Amino acid sequence: MMGPVKPGGGFQGQNFLLIFLIIVIIIVVIIIVYFVIKKRKKKKGQEKLREHAYKGIKSREDIKSIYTPTGTSTSENKNEKNDTMIKLENLTKYYGKYLAVDNVSFEVHSGEVIGLVGPNGAGKTTIIKMIAKLLRPSSGRIWVRDNQGELKDLNKKSRNLVKLGFLIDIPAFYKDMTAYQILKYSALLQRYPREKINDRIDELLKIFDLIDWKHEKVKTFSKGMTQKLGMIQSIIHDPEIIILDEPQTGLDPLARIDIRRIIKEFHRNGKTIFVASHMLAEISEVCEKIALINFGVIIAFDTIDNLERGLRTSGLNCKLLDPISPDQLGSIIKKLTERLEPYLDKDLDVLVSKIPIKYIPQKRSFKIFYDTTDSKQTRAEILKILVKEFESDFTVVSFSKPKKSSQLEQIYSRLIAEDKVEIELSKGGVN
Amino acid sequence: MEKFEDGLKFAYLEVKPVIHTFVFELKKQWKKFVGFLVISVLIVVLQSFILYALFSDSLLPTTHSDYLSGGLIFLTSFIILFASCFFFAGIICAEFSDKTGYILFPKINKYKLIIGKYLGNLFLEAGVIAIFYFLVGFLSYFFYDQFSGTLLIRYFISFVFAFLYMIAMSSFVTFFSSFMRSVNVTIVSTILILFIGFNISQMFLMMLAPEIEPIYSLSYISTLITSILLIEFPDPNYSEISLQNFTFRTWLTPTIEMGLLVLFLYITIGFILAAYLFKRRQL
Repeated sequence: MMGPVKPGGGFQGQNFLLIFLIIVIIIVVIIIVYFVIKKRKKKKGQEKLREHAYKGIKSREDIKSIYTPTGTSTSENKNEKNDTMIKLENLTKYYGKYLAVDNVSFEVHSGEVIGLVGPNGAGKTTIIKMIAKLLRPSSGRIWVRDNQGELKDLNKKSRNLVKLGFLIDIPAFYKDMTAYQILKYSALLQRYPREKINDRIDELLKIFDLIDWKHEKVKTFSKGMTQKLGMIQSIIHDPEIIILDEPQTGLDPLARIDIRRIIKEFHRNGKTIFVASHMLAEISEVCEKIALINFGVIIAFDTIDNLERGLRTSGLNCKLLDPISPDQLGSIIKKLTERLEPYLDKDLDVLVSKIPIKYIPQKRSFKIFYDTTDSKQTRAEILKILVKEFESDFTVVSFSKPKKSSQLEQIYSRLIAEDKVEIELSKGGVN
Repeated sequence: MEKFEDGLKFAYLEVKPVIHTFVFELKKQWKKFVGFLVISVLIVVLQSFILYALFSDSLLPTTHSDYLSGGLIFLTSFIILFASCFFFAGIICAEFSDKTGYILFPKINKYKLIIGKYLGNLFLEAGVIAIFYFLVGFLSYFFYDQFSGTLLIRYFISFVFAFLYMIAMSSFVTFFSSFMRSVNVTIVSTILILFIGFNISQMFLMMLAPEIEPIYSLSYISTLITSILLIEFPDPNYSEISLQNFTFRTWLTPTIEMGLLVLFLYITIGFILAAYLFKRRQL
């Protein structure tokens, strides 16, 4: 160590430059070392990601442990349908001059699973963002139930509202933070009891198969894992209302099934769930009611069965053992039409089909459009006739309603098409 | 008494999200803190120690206060500016550009979020400055054998000014972050304004209206940090050079009162505007 230098003259410019150069060199060396280490870490992370085989979300028993049931089972919920959890009242949102949401009103009751379905840009996310207070409505009000069971205006200072959990869009997290740090912060902000946070995080991470990634930075996560983390943060505080915007975006098919299973499990335990999606299959499997939205307007809001009844027609698939030869087809269809005449849909929409009985040779099946006024009875009668009276013509191997999702697709495209026609007519009227 | 206790409990509950955000921010930004700390230590060691200890032709400043003000130049000219830009540029706009706000805003009030984040970043930046001051002060003790009395008090006052200057600069950057679209654009634009813009405008003012003191300029205000260490505070606070028929006036440093006033204005206006714009901004 050198001894103290005696005070003397001034500051030397040349030496200052030298010092500056040394500083720059040292900083450059530090930066290079930092990037080398970072690159190695990234490589390790990628290897880990590759090793991370998808194992699926755990069993139903495990899922059950992630929430505190609100005390109502599904059957009990049926009696409490009058408990409004969220009420939208003439909700309108403009982006500049563009009307994104137009006078939307509906209610979500306790224990219901409501799906908000619509094409891209229909206004689904805007509605959810307004419920999450990320956007201010241009007009209208949002009511949310408080702990005393009263509805409170969300945009006025209101305390003790029931807990809400949100998953909006593909979630984005602070990339340099670990899953644990993010979830802990999230739980603390939602006033989840501090002493229970660690257990809760572990529990959820295990169920979503992310426990090995607890202390890994989010930047090393795949898209699906990030989506799962988003799902976890939305339920970490055990909310009574769960609002999910496109929860299955970016997930692989197995993870999608798991998410649906979790939503169903929440429903079974009395949670109120509001899901926005453009994926009809996803909605039809988990939701009991759907709100169809197009150009910011709710064009239908009911149960899938009621919507279907509203269309007053439904298709039946009747699969045959052997194909029908083209020579016989005309006579068989004629006979079928005569025999099933009382049950067929007389006002069949041309958008759905031009004739009530269709034969699809590729599938070796008939599609029969029937009147849904007394749908169960009608289906039974049709089946009886097909089996008994057409025994010599064909053998029925299966007889089924189309999948709920394809029914919904039919309703969806029909309503959207009608809405389009209405809009065009109204435009024409104005002109 | 019960009401008072309830009030305290309520206040604690209201402050809690700010504390959680503060702690989270410390964890989030610690890398930047370490980076600036390494740079600061390197600069102090090289500029205030190696320069005098290793090079024979580099002689120590005559007075202790000259040594200290020389040691702090790097801090006032570069470190505070760059640290403020890097710590605060993303404080608001990153929540929007990275869309991280989606996971935060329904859970925490925007005012509480910005206060927590602001305090967290300030704490880290203040830590860098405090360590820089400590090291320069410690090394000056090594070279000058003593460090006490008036100079120590002045050194402490200088630290207070540096701290206020840092908050003012941080508020300025936070304000920019509240309406800018991306972190990088915020960093570049604030560095350009603070580093070049203010100095160029000062030069223009010196030529066009030399009698007007550039009190709007943060870089001018920052001269207080080192001027306060001088044995004699500059009075008058300008110097004049006459060339032919023209007299140039160079403003050396603002008065303490003026400096404090401007810093407080920058701090309050910058932060209030930033918080207001943040509240209005939608994802």
